[in-house]
Parts: sequence; C-alpha cells; structure tokens
Amino acid sequence: MQNNTETKYWKGLNELSNDAEFQTSQNKEFAEDLPIDDFFGKVTEQSKSHRRDFLKALGFGVSAVAVAACNEAPVRKAIPYLVKPEEITPGVANYYASTCGGCTTGCSIVVKTREGRPIKVEGNDLSSLNQGGVCGVGHASVLSLYDSSKLKNPMLNGSSSTWADLDAFVIKNLEASAAAGKKITILTGTITSPSAKKAVGKLASKYSTVEHVTYDAVSASGILMANKTSFNKQVVPNYKFQDAKVVVSFGADFLGTWISPVEYTKNFMKNRKLNNSREMSRHIQFETGMSITGSNADVRIPVKPSQEGLAVVTLYNNIAKFAGAAQYGAEPIEFAGNILANTAQELWDNKGKSLVISGSNDVSVQLMVNAINSLLGNYGSTIDLDNPSFQKQGVDGDMSKLVKSMANGKVGTLIMFNVNPAYDYADATAFKDAIAKVDFSLTFDNKVSETASLVTAIAPAHSFLESWDDNQAKAGLFSITQPTIAPIFNSRQWQESILVWAGEKMSYYKFIQENWKNEGFKKQSKFIVFQEFWDNAVRDGVVNMEPKASSSYSYSADLAGDVQQITKASKGLSGVAELKIYEKVGLKDGKQANNPWLQELPDPISKATWDNYIAISPKFAEEKGIKEEDVVEITTEKGSFKLPVLMQPGQAYGTVSVAIGYGRDGEGKCADGVGVNVFQHNMASQGNWYGAIAITNMTVTGEEYVLAQTQTHHSYEGRNIVQETTLENFLRDPHAGAVSHAMDDTYSLWPDRDKRGHHWAMAIDLNACTGCGSCVVSCQAENNVAVVGRDEVRRRREMHWIRIDRYYSGDPESPEVVHQPMLCQHCDHAPCESVCPVLATMHSSEGLNQQVYNRCVGTRYCANNCPFKVRRFNWFNYTDNKKFDYNLNDDLGKMALNPDVVVRSRGVMEKCSFCVQRIQSSKLEAKMAGEPMKDGAVKTACQQSCPADAIVFGDVNDPDSEVNKLLHSGRNYFILEELNVQPGIGYQRLVRNKKSEA
Amino acid sequence: MLHNYTLNLRHLNRGELCPFQTEMMHYPEINFKRSMTRFFQSLDSVRLRSLSLIFLMVISVQFVAKAQSIEEGKKLFQQNCTSCHAVGRKVIGPALSGVTERRPMEWILRFVKNSQAVIQSGDEYAVALFEKYNKTVMTPQSLTDDEIKSVMAYIDDETLKASQATAATAAAGGAAPADTGTSLLTYLGLFGLIVILFAVIVALNRVIKVLERVILQKDGVSAEELDKLDAEEAAEKAARKAKVMAFAGNKKTVLLGILIFIIVGATAGWKTLITVGIQQGYAPVQPINFSHEIHAGINQINCVYCHSGAEKGRHATLPPAKLCMNCHNYVNPESPEIQKIYAALDYNPETSEYGDNPKPIEWIRVHNLPDFAYFNHSQHVMVGKVECQKCHGPVEEMAVLEQHSDLTMGWCINCHRETKVNFEGNDYYDKIIAAHDDIKSGGAITVANLGGIECAKCHY
Repeated sequence: MQNNTETKYWKGLNELSNDAEFQTSQNKEFAEDLPIDDFFGKVTEQSKSHRRDFLKALGFGVSAVAVAACNEAPVRKAIPYLVKPEEITPGVANYYASTCGGCTTGCSIVVKTREGRPIKVEGNDLSSLNQGGVCGVGHASVLSLYDSSKLKNPMLNGSSSTWADLDAFVIKNLEASAAAGKKITILTGTITSPSAKKAVGKLASKYSTVEHVTYDAVSASGILMANKTSFNKQVVPNYKFQDAKVVVSFGADFLGTWISPVEYTKNFMKNRKLNNSREMSRHIQFETGMSITGSNADVRIPVKPSQEGLAVVTLYNNIAKFAGAAQYGAEPIEFAGNILANTAQELWDNKGKSLVISGSNDVSVQLMVNAINSLLGNYGSTIDLDNPSFQKQGVDGDMSKLVKSMANGKVGTLIMFNVNPAYDYADATAFKDAIAKVDFSLTFDNKVSETASLVTAIAPAHSFLESWDDNQAKAGLFSITQPTIAPIFNSRQWQESILVWAGEKMSYYKFIQENWKNEGFKKQSKFIVFQEFWDNAVRDGVVNMEPKASSSYSYSADLAGDVQQITKASKGLSGVAELKIYEKVGLKDGKQANNPWLQELPDPISKATWDNYIAISPKFAEEKGIKEEDVVEITTEKGSFKLPVLMQPGQAYGTVSVAIGYGRDGEGKCADGVGVNVFQHNMASQGNWYGAIAITNMTVTGEEYVLAQTQTHHSYEGRNIVQETTLENFLRDPHAGAVSHAMDDTYSLWPDRDKRGHHWAMAIDLNACTGCGSCVVSCQAENNVAVVGRDEVRRRREMHWIRIDRYYSGDPESPEVVHQPMLCQHCDHAPCESVCPVLATMHSSEGLNQQVYNRCVGTRYCANNCPFKVRRFNWFNYTDNKKFDYNLNDDLGKMALNPDVVVRSRGVMEKCSFCVQRIQSSKLEAKMAGEPMKDGAVKTACQQSCPADAIVFGDVNDPDSEVNKLLHSGRNYFILEELNVQPGIGYQRLVRNKKSEA
Repeated sequence: MLHNYTLNLRHLNRGELCPFQTEMMHYPEINFKRSMTRFFQSLDSVRLRSLSLIFLMVISVQFVAKAQSIEEGKKLFQQNCTSCHAVGRKVIGPALSGVTERRPMEWILRFVKNSQAVIQSGDEYAVALFEKYNKTVMTPQSLTDDEIKSVMAYIDDETLKASQATAATAAAGGAAPADTGTSLLTYLGLFGLIVILFAVIVALNRVIKVLERVILQKDGVSAEELDKLDAEEAAEKAARKAKVMAFAGNKKTVLLGILIFIIVGATAGWKTLITVGIQQGYAPVQPINFSHEIHAGINQINCVYCHSGAEKGRHATLPPAKLCMNCHNYVNPESPEIQKIYAALDYNPETSEYGDNPKPIEWIRVHNLPDFAYFNHSQHVMVGKVECQKCHGPVEEMAVLEQHSDLTMGWCINCHRETKVNFEGNDYYDKIIAAHDDIKSGGAITVANLGGIECAKCHY
C-alpha cells in the first residue's frame, strides 16, 4: 500500500513556503487586527472608545430593544388572487422545461417558479445534451433576469420611447437603406434557433439587402474553417468524449469553457469514474495557464502559446511515423520525459478510440489536428461530422469584413443582437469608428453598455426566461424555450421585433409553431395531432430526432504550408513574454458580468473573486522581480494595461494569462469598473484571432493591490485531508492510497446516537469533481446565500455554504491539482454542537447537523471549533443594506429568493443544511402519496447541478441506496476520521491514471 | 326570578334594547303575568310564593320556546331564503318585512309551499306580485307549517327591531343606545358608596367619642382626668406606632418585603412580557365583513372549498374573489359587503360583465407566523389528518375571525409530543415501523418520537 502521508498538499505558494508571516496570519481569528489596545489600553483623549461610551451604547441598546419589543405587531396583509390561474397554488412550486440562455450552448433546463416568478434553474434530465447538468453561469442566469439596471423602455436617440414610435422609425430607416442599395446587416452571436433564423429570413425577403453575420466574442473560427477546408463542412463536430480512451487536448478547456462544457463533462466523466468499472480513460493536456481541464488531467504540460502549434506538429510527425504518412520539417518540440513521443504511442495504441482536440483559432493548427485524428481513424468513432454542433457559428473573418464594409459606408442599417463588439471585439476601435459611418444602428441589448451607447435606437429584448423560442444545439437535438414569467419591463422579444419590421402579422410564438408544424412534426411519427406533439415538446422541453449514421472521414492533404504558417505565428509571439487571454468559468465573455453571484464565484483555480489579474509562474515572476500583489503594467502592440499579479503554479514559464470578461462599462453596478478589459490584446493570424499576443514591455509599477482570494482563508492546521492513488495501485487494491489513522482506541464524549429511520449522507467523488463551481452558484440560489463583495471577501467573510478547496502538490511550476468540495460534514459527533452555549446547533435523528438561526446569539464558538471551517457568520445584515448593494438590496433582486429558506440576519451563524427544505418536501411528497421514499427522491442543490455527477446524496440506512454503496466502497474515506467526528460525507479517493513513480 | 326573565329577554334581543321595554311592547301577555307576580309577592305567604315560583317557571319555559322558534326561524331563513330574499330590502324576491301584516298566515303558508298553485288559482295579490317581479318563479319550499311559522316569527322579530331602531334614532336624534350591561359607572358608583359608608363609619366613631366625653363630663369626671385619659390614649397610640415602626424597620421584614416585591414584580413582568408578540384573540376588522359563522357554520361550506391550498401545500391560501362569485352572483347581490367583491373584480351585476379595472382585496392576516418558522398545511391536513378546528378553533361560530391558539413554539411542541402518529395505510412509514421496536410491540409513537420536535423540522 502506498503511503500518502508523505505527499505535501498546499493551497497557495505561501503555504508551501510556510513562512512566519503566513503562520501568524493563519493563527489569527480575524483577517485584520482587532482594536484590543483601544479597548483595554489606557484611556486617553485619542482612544477610539471609552468605557463610558460602551456603557452608554449598552444602555441605549437595551432600552431600544425593550421599546422595540413592546411595539404592537405590525398589520400584515394577505392579498389573494382575484382570479387564480388554475395551475398556481401559492406556496407550491411549478416547474417548466425551457432552454438556458446563459450562453449560446443551449442546454435544456427546468425552471422552478413560485407564484409566477422563476427562482431556480436546474438541468433537464431528458436532455441528451447536458443530461441534467447546468453550469454556474446557467444557475446564475436567473438572477440576471431580476437586474434592476435593465432598460425599462425602448430608447430612441438616447431618450425613452414607445414601441410604436420605434417601429415606425426602424421601418423608415430599413426602407431608406434598401432604397439606397445599402446593406441591412443583422449582426448576432451564434443563433441555435431555427425559427429565429427563419424570422431573419422573413426580413431578408422583405428587404433585399439584408445579410446575417454571426460574430462570437470567443469563436471556434479555427475549427469551422479547418473543417471546411478538410471536409467541406463548416461545422464544429460532435466530440464523443464518452468513447475516447485517450483524450489529448491542446489548450481546449473542454471541462470549463470550451464550446459545450457541461455536455463534455458529462460524457468525459463516464470513463473516469471507477464505481462500477475498472477502466479509466487517460487525459493529457497541453496548455498555457492552468484551466480546470488541465487541473483534472492525468498529465498536464505547461506550454507557451508559441509552442502549442509546434507541439501539435511534433505529435503529428510522431504519429505519422507509425502510420507511414508524410512528415513535415519543423522545429521539433519535446518536453521532459518524452511526453509527445509517449503520447503519440498511446494514441496509436488506441486508434479509433482516441481524441485529439485543440482550442486554437489558428486554422493551420486545426488542420494539423484534423490530420492527426484522421491518421488515428477517429472520424466516425469519437468525432462525428454528420451530427455536428451548432453552438459556435461565428467566423472571425466575417466580422472583419463587416467592419470594413461599415467603414466604407456600405452598411445602411446595423441591427445587433447578443453582441457587444465595442467591448469584446479584438479590434474594437475599428468597430467604433466604423459604426459612426452606419446610417442607422440598433441593438436589442437591454443595458446602455459599450455598444448600446453608440447606437441610434435600443429595442430591449426579453430575457430568455420571458421568451418563446426553439433551439438546435446539435443536429437532431432540439430544445424549446418557454416563458416562465410575464415580461418585467417594457421589453419585446427580438424575433418579435424582427417579424414586426418584416411586416409579418404573426406573433413569434405562432411563427415557431408554424415552423414546427411544417418541419419537426412531419419528421416524426409518434403523434398524429400537432397540438399533442407541441404540448409534449413544450412539456418535455426537448425533441430528439433520429441521429444520422456517423460515417468515417479521412483527411490527408499536404500541410507543408500550414507548418510554415504555424512557425510564423510562433515567431510572431516572441517578445518579453507571451500574453494568453482566456475565459473564466464564471464570467466567460462578460455578458453576465453584472451578476453578483458570478462575480463572487471564486475562480476554480486561483480562487480569486471580483477581479481579473495577471497570472504568472512563480519562477518567471521571481526572475522578473515581481512579487505577489504587485501591480504590473503590460504593454503589447495594442496598448497597455495595469493589473495586479497572481502567482499561478502551473502557468507556463515565460507567459502570463489574463481573463477576458472584465472591465465593463455601462453594464451595471456589479460589473462596471471591475477588472480591466483585455479583449483587444489579441493577435490576428490568417484572419482569425489567435487568443495570444507578444508582450513588448512589462514593468512593476510599484503599486500594490490585494486580490480577494478565498483559498487560504480556512486552515486545516496541517492535517492531511486529501487522499489519492494511481490507477495501477487502485486496480491492485481498491483501498490503495488510504492513510491509516490511529483509531484503535476510540473514545467519545458523546453517547452513540440512535440512527433509526432516515440517516442522510453524502458521497463526493474526487475523481469526478472538476472544480467548476456550478454547485457553489446552485447552492447560493437555493439557499439565499448573500453576496458580500470584494472587501468582505478580503476579510475572509464570504458566505458560500459550499466551497471547492483546490490543493496543489509537487513542483510549483507544474503541480498536480486536487479539487475537493467542502461543505458542512454533518458529523455525528459534531464538535460545533458541543460548544454552543445556547444549543443553536444540534443534531437531528436523521443525521443532520441543524443550525437554528433564531436561537443563535453569535458567539462563533462553533465556527472556531469546526475542524472543516465550513461555518459562516453574518457580520452584517446583507439585506436592505446600502453598503452591500447587490441583489438583496432592491425589490427586483429579491424576487430570486427561495421562499422556503429564511433570509438570515446579522449576528447569526449559518452553514450547509443538506438542503433540509428539499428533504422535508420530498418526505412530505412520499407521505402524501403513501409510498416509501425512493432512493434519489431527495437531491441537494449541489448534487442536482453537478455536471460531473460527483455528488450523491441519500439515506445511508437504506441498504440499496447509491450513497450506501459508495460509502462502503474501497475508495471511500472520511476526512479527519481520526478525530472521531464521524462525518456524514464520504469522499471517494482520487485516482490518477498515471504510471506510479518507482 | 325576575332575573331569569331578563336573561332570556337579553338573549332574545342580543342586548340591543332594554329588556323590559321590549317585554312591555312585544309580549303584552307577560305584562299581565308580571302584575300577577307582584300580586303573589304582596301576599307574603310561603305557600303562595312557591306557587308563584312554579308559575313563573312555566312562563319561562314558554318564553324560551318562543325564543327558540325565532332562532330556528333565523337558521331556516338563512339556509333557504337568503338567496332570493332579505327582510329589509328587495333582492330577487320582495322584501319580507311586515309580510305577516300584509298577508294572512294561511295565505303565506300556501304561497311558500307552492307559489305557482296560488298564482294559478287566480289569487289577485299573488298574480300582481308575480307580474311585479318579472314572473320569477319562487322555488316551492318543502317546509312544515311550524317551520314556516318560525321563519315568520323571525321576520316579525327583525321587522320590529328595524322599526324600533328607526324610531329610536328618530326620537333620540342618534343618541347612544341604552346600555344594558354592567357598566363601569356601576362599578364606580359601588366604589363611591363604599367610600361614603366608610366615611360615615369614621364620622360616627368620632361622634361616639365626643358623646362619650360629654357623658364622662356629665358624670363629673374632671378635666384633668380627662386630659390624663387623653394622654394615656396618646401614649398607647405612640407605643403602637413604635411597635409598627420597629416591625417595619426590622431587616428580616425589609428583606421579606423586597423578596415579595421582586417575586410579584418578576411574575407580573414575566406574564406581561411573554405575551409580547403573541396575538391570541387577534380579530382585526377586515375590509369585507366576512362571517365564517354564516359560511362555515350555518351554510356548512367545507373549509377547503375556499382554502384549497391546505390540502396541496404550505399555505392554506385565501380564496380568489372569483370563487366568491360562484355563489354571490345570485346570493345577496345587494349587500354592501358583496358589492365590495364586485368592486374588487370590477363586476357589473346589471350587465353581468367584468371590467378591466380590478383591485385586489387586501385582507388582514389573522394568523401570522414569524419568517423563521416553516409551517406546511398539507403535512398536517393530509398526512396528520388534523382537523382545521384543532388549531383555528370553532371557526364555524366566529362572525369575526380571531386567532384562537397562541401559535407559540411551546404550543406546537406540546401537540407534537401528545399526538400519536397514525401509520395505518401509509407505506411511507413501513421502514420506520420496522426500525422501531415499540411500534412492533404495539406501543404508540408520537410525532416527537419521529423527530417532530427537532429544530430543523420547522426552522431552515
């Protein structure tokens, strides 16, 4: 058995070095020094508080409370419906299937509504795309609906207008453009809706000069163009991670942000869990900055952006050697341990069961990747070109062409939906100049942000939660969007507007139905009556058509020219360092930057909130004389920006990474002025945006800035809480990796508990958890967890009930990573329970550690005594408090609150409740039906959201329950078992598919 | 015995009028009996007295019977007639006040039982009535003669009350109605009387003293001796006072006093403070004078007909105003309270059309739980099979709804401790039953035994 106690896990570099400063800070209860001297010290004129002041305050407080308590109870009103909608029973939630509009991926969702307002988004189990999972952005999108900074009315020339006036104005301009022979351009992000495309088509048939341009801020342009060249199919193929035994990714963050992360996570994890199988896929990642995909890889190689393409060429050459295909002369790249050669060998051994992908936007690199997959025979098995994805359709070249023709005055009318080029286009200045030359411009945005401030008219569109729509994320996989709330403001669905301007009398809802009647309905044979088909489609939310047979394709062209291109691009990146811009899991391209849940969601790797920053490798920083918290100015040929530095273990040497999506302007109170916009720091290569650029100068400004990071907030006092092993060892012994604890002499302060009836428990698979943070947002939405803001996070006062601890081990330049979701462990021998002086935290007979807010007096003894550091204290009243001007501060934001969970007040402790409101409601459901509870009837919010199905919850007293099986499996261990706290959560040991070191 | 009368009469009139006044005006036969009583009383004979007692009891019984028939008439009227008739105003059918004066009882009996037969018989009055009310057919009522008579008694009673009320208002120019209850003034008067009596006693004592002195003087006691006597008396008084002072100054007494003060004060304080925030008996005035007594009591409408949420989820829910219209489209449309419902729905009873300017009714919540307590009606109503009245009290008797229980946590917990869980026919409990030996051996399990008093059952 491998002894793991030797492995040192660290959360941050300061913990690794463990210097005196770090130790002191960890021993402190509060992030800041308390003014103890002021309080106990000599009373002088300068002292902040006197004993008398204290007594005054005390006296006033007591009398104020006494007076307040004697007050007559307020008169509360109950206002029933005048005419109650049949389906609504106040207090009972309704669920409607719909499609997520958080990004363009188009995951199918189920929206929970209470009294006609959506309060929670969950994945739709019927969907074969996202298969019941939703990412953090999707969970947070329900809060974006209740954004009070949205436009209340349509705008014309900067002032509020009416729809009638706006329509007249738009039609006049459309006619003028068409008459002048100028283009009418509809510029949109990727549209997966067939009906929306038809609506645009209607406009095109009315005005002959209409063209539709798709622009994605973060595009898959390289893949689209390469596939067009290779197979004459301008598509993103259907990647089947579930069929791949070896996955090699060059910079594609497919578990976090790349194309369809929830779907990929679901599929990828099918081969990664060792619950019922003894096989596990292998995952090799080459990337610049540490992404969550890289952090979950079995082998992760940090590479510079300039090396990435060359590494692909080298891998190709290695495979070509086996296949006897043409090899190309290029500067050979190799990494320590002959990684590329070994990878080629592994891929060749798994021909047809492997998958090579690249996140690059360089067409030549993608062509090379196509050639590799072709040599490996992956087309038709792990890559399906016949049932492609439509989730990314934007080609970078189309946008640059459009900007050019706008600048030349060829565009008469520009109508924009779901795009913000003035903010996120790599050449935003050119766009801003060009839009001034367009006669009439309109956007469907509902904020006056970067682009919207440049247009003539704004026609605010509905949120997806207020809309009717259909979606085709992948060929044959359809999903319906249905409204779950009446429009909050005077907005109108954008397709509706398009139809009005096209002179169409039909509403968009009817329009969609007509389309389905003519197409989808005719392709199926299950239903004879259309209404029946439609009702079913809306109820289920999904319509699946029979997929086409996936045929095999091969691609073998002479790529010598492309190799030259790759070398050229590589040279173009030489400078002081290379800058890689990337999407964060939370904020992505910044469209939902005004969402406080996403701003406060800690980055899965750096655990930073509320800012973007310069991620740099510790070694490189040391060489450049840069320290943590330094503000550094970076200059590229596109300009310069200043940001604080974050030491990122695993960042490729000689590179820095900066996240896009920050530095918004006009988006709202949570987004504006947070971080810096770096979209423009991007190099053009063969008409596409490369995603990286050479840094010409990098200077330390001398300023300092403290980032609000959550990771090092909670110390385990050196106790080892992570356990891992390798596949090889696991196959030999399922208990491999167990750290033996001296448990021979267990004694307990507490009597054994009666564990009859239900006993709720949870199992968390460390092998599956990718660290994406979906559970954190889901929990926040379910349990009314407050947002505290950057300053309070710096003071270690974040309120998340579940956090994902990220541990590094090994070499700081290329560490291994473990993600460990950490929430209340519901210990049967809970240390918190024994120290509460007022019994505000107690144990239930069902194994729950209960926290009673109305009894809590806020001594915080429990938090101090919790070895897992999962208890959160309400330092302030976060509701109706101008100091915390987030979602809980206005009536609209409060609409997202879950009425079944109380909003905690200042001065009380809170923590994970195992979603007791869900347990209670499922139990009640079973009792009302008179049936025994089924395993899986209760799903906690974190479990339900998990795209990796890493969390399983259930009744451990039920011998057939999944959680019971998992908690008794070989991989299971309990954290801090040696303290005999008897946690209610078992973790399944991490297994890495790597060769054990001898 | 007279007291007995008064009670009955008050019961009859619900305290609106002076009982004797009513008695005199409305029941002349009692007048006679009362004079008889006085006659018997004046005889001052034990035998006669007991005779009169028996006599009076007979009268009382008769009187109670009369009152009961009016009560019954009221009930019958509300059950059978209110959808078309009211006493004082026209609804669908004519106003019924004074109907017994307008028509003979025999005619009324026939008409109520089968109005069409009367009309077809060519009765002039009946035909005219039929024409006047747009030939609306009155549903034949299957009531006995006695029942119809009690309805008429009720109508007469109501008619009389209405006329008296008008008369009283006219006469007194809106003066306050006579107060029949024991008023504060009575108590104050009694108290004053006691004070005066005490004062009289004190004064008389003084007088006695003075008179004693005069007697002594008359008996030849010298002034010195008198002074001596006075001094002795004064000394005695002083000694008594000193004793009392010493007792009052005693540490033990002081301590005891303080203790008593603290105990009494703390008890009173505790008793007062513990009721802070408890609204037991809270019966706010509602925007619409809705009576549960009429709906749930007399008309026996099931609670969940209106509060349908109680079987489905957390809230019992208030009925939508549209639900009221299921009946009040026809029932009592002219009542000012029903008009409020119409106004809320923007409904025009003339045209039977709904307008587009509805205004929700803002009821005052009677039962308020704090936000941190989760309560689910369906758990109690559907699973626990708890009667509504168990917590809400005799709602069917409440003209104005009030909070019956105190809704404190102690009250919840007590019930959970005492209530035995009924497992029968609910498979959910199978596993739980298997786990509890007590149940297997036939013992009862309370809600508390299944964790029903644990914090997170209600607080989350």
